[in-house]
Amino acid sequence: MTEPVLQVNDLTVTYTVGAGTFFAVSDVSLQIEPGQVVGIVGETGCGKSTLAKAIPRLLPEPPASIGSGAIIFRGTDLVKVGRRQLPMVRGTGIGMIFQEPLNSLNPAFRVFDQIAESIRIRHYREMGWLRSFQGGEQPFDYSKPPITTTAAGSLSKAIVPPAAEEAVKDRLATRSQFREEVLSYLRLVRINDPETILNLYPHELSGGMRQRIMIAMALSEKPSLLIADEPTSALDVTIQAQVLTLMKELIDEVHAAILFISHDLGVIAETADEVGVMYAGRIVEYGPVAEVFRDPRHPYTKMLLRAAPAHYKNDGPLSTIPGSVPNLSRPPPGCRFHPRCSLARDVCRGENPPLAPVDPAASAESPHIHRSACYFQSEVPNLR
Amino acid sequence: MGRNPGDLLIFIGKRLLQLIPVVLGVIILTFICTHLKLVGLCNAVYPHASPEVIAACNAKYSAPLLTQFVQYLTSLFQGNWGASPLGTPVYPAIAADLPATVELVLAALFIMVVIGIPLGVVAAQYSGRWADHLVRIFYLSGWATPTYLGAVIAAVFLGPALGLPSGGEYSTVVPPFPQYTHMSVVDAIIALNFPYTIDAIEHLILPASVLAFINMGIATRMTRASMLEVLPLDYVRSARMKGLGEFWVLYKHALRNALITTTTVLGVTAGGLLAGTVVVEEVFDWPGIGQYAYDAVGGGGSTANFDGAIAVVIIFAIGVVVANMIADIMYGVLDPRVEWR
Repeated sequence: MTEPVLQVNDLTVTYTVGAGTFFAVSDVSLQIEPGQVVGIVGETGCGKSTLAKAIPRLLPEPPASIGSGAIIFRGTDLVKVGRRQLPMVRGTGIGMIFQEPLNSLNPAFRVFDQIAESIRIRHYREMGWLRSFQGGEQPFDYSKPPITTTAAGSLSKAIVPPAAEEAVKDRLATRSQFREEVLSYLRLVRINDPETILNLYPHELSGGMRQRIMIAMALSEKPSLLIADEPTSALDVTIQAQVLTLMKELIDEVHAAILFISHDLGVIAETADEVGVMYAGRIVEYGPVAEVFRDPRHPYTKMLLRAAPAHYKNDGPLSTIPGSVPNLSRPPPGCRFHPRCSLARDVCRGENPPLAPVDPAASAESPHIHRSACYFQSEVPNLR
Repeated sequence: MGRNPGDLLIFIGKRLLQLIPVVLGVIILTFICTHLKLVGLCNAVYPHASPEVIAACNAKYSAPLLTQFVQYLTSLFQGNWGASPLGTPVYPAIAADLPATVELVLAALFIMVVIGIPLGVVAAQYSGRWADHLVRIFYLSGWATPTYLGAVIAAVFLGPALGLPSGGEYSTVVPPFPQYTHMSVVDAIIALNFPYTIDAIEHLILPASVLAFINMGIATRMTRASMLEVLPLDYVRSARMKGLGEFWVLYKHALRNALITTTTVLGVTAGGLLAGTVVVEEVFDWPGIGQYAYDAVGGGGSTANFDGAIAVVIIFAIGVVVANMIADIMYGVLDPRVEWR
């Protein structure tokens, strides 16, 4: 079995604001294999975005601090990596697409310069002109053409050529080759008129266009792990659908390991292989998307799914989850969901339930099986 | 689009048209201020002059104020900037002195940009920590120093201590090459005279540094404030996430946007610097327009020169407007979202 791209072990992230400490992420564990898409879903304020930004150590420290745990990216614990080494991990190692496409591009530079900068960073690292991050025994190279059944499969070979040493050396030597490389990434994200777009400034582009350019910028560094932090949330619905379609096609094409953060259950259901449901800083349920969504075993997941609008559901008002997300400076003891849970009993108030396999026969070792952090997970299917 | 070279020309043209009312207003105000009370002035100003000089002086200033003003304006439009009561024409003196002042101001601005702006970045990067406090102490002490005190301390103590000259433009009064531009360094470079170029730069360092040190606070403070505004923005985070080192994140992505505000303020300051050189030029014996202005209002026991004073004020006003215009142009160059109008 291949080495996982990312392994997060018992990660705890706190924010210190004034005298208070907020436990934004508590004891989160995750494992992402090459080519796997892992979704994280949860309400606003449950720690999804903090988790996404904590992995490439992008959170400002202080006020944020990583209390405990490990973020093992290709064999290296990023928690222990020095501040000066961190940029080497970012970009070519871990790429990121942000929520706010309107503000995520630098308003002072043309589209060409911004994408070119990313390609230059990757190129210089490939050529060894810039020190890059060497983690693990053998760097995982997702850029090998994946075996894919989509029509875009043939396209991906041309766009993401194999990173063979000779090919790399010659590929970006001239200005026109460099320009062609930039153009190829604009075409990859389905931009119709890349020649024109290149010379525009971000403020001359629409939100959907800017998000495509953000995606192109992240992909152009060929990261081993791509973190998509609510990439469609800030867009309006039609653009959202377009970008989502693009993301789905790209997932097939580039075959990267992706951590997909979203509050939208539908988006996660369409894109992810596995899903982690977060509540108040903890992962309360984890497993393959189909299993988790078909047979949720945590009361929170069950209620979240019921609260999601669905096209077939036109009988009466949407249900809501009573109560609100707890204040993370004083999280409730025991299971953090117990104040809002109809199954809660004394044990829930006293002790935090572990993420236990749903199927008792399954091997507890594998990180990819369906698990739920509920003492009464067998009763969840009967929950009304 | 509003961002073509043609639009820029129209923009500059409009700004130059705005100069007309500004300059007219300045002329009227200065004229009134200098000509209001002139009874017995010639005697007071030239106590030791011959009776003929005093008579000529009285004749010039005895006409009604309005008549004098119309006369002055008419001659100004004919290109005649007037003359001192003793008959020295104003224009040649200003034409020789203004470039020296512009040189001094540009050198001070250069120091403010090269030292003040990076200090602002450092202050923002370490905001609230000791580096920030050190920078603040530095620029506040400059801000709090009276110009005459700073200039005198630099000329008397700092100059000798550093082995830098603290008076004049060159070590010899008249350099052995023609003065085409009247900017000491530029003339020496044009003459390809390397030793004199070094000499001119050495003479420029102290007065320019004093001017820069006193006004450094504006550049540093504005840079710090706008960097603090820019640093939490999403595109700075994107730049970090590209894998760029902190240096490039700060000095390329963040500073590029923070500079937009700083430049505007620096432009306004540059206009003010032009007028603020009076004391520095006097102390460092810099043959600029500030020194001319000082003499024109009768400073240092020299004879009062009203036409000269008005001319200097006009030049300063034009300088402020032009500096603002350049700042506006720079603003548009730095920020692609700005349209010329």
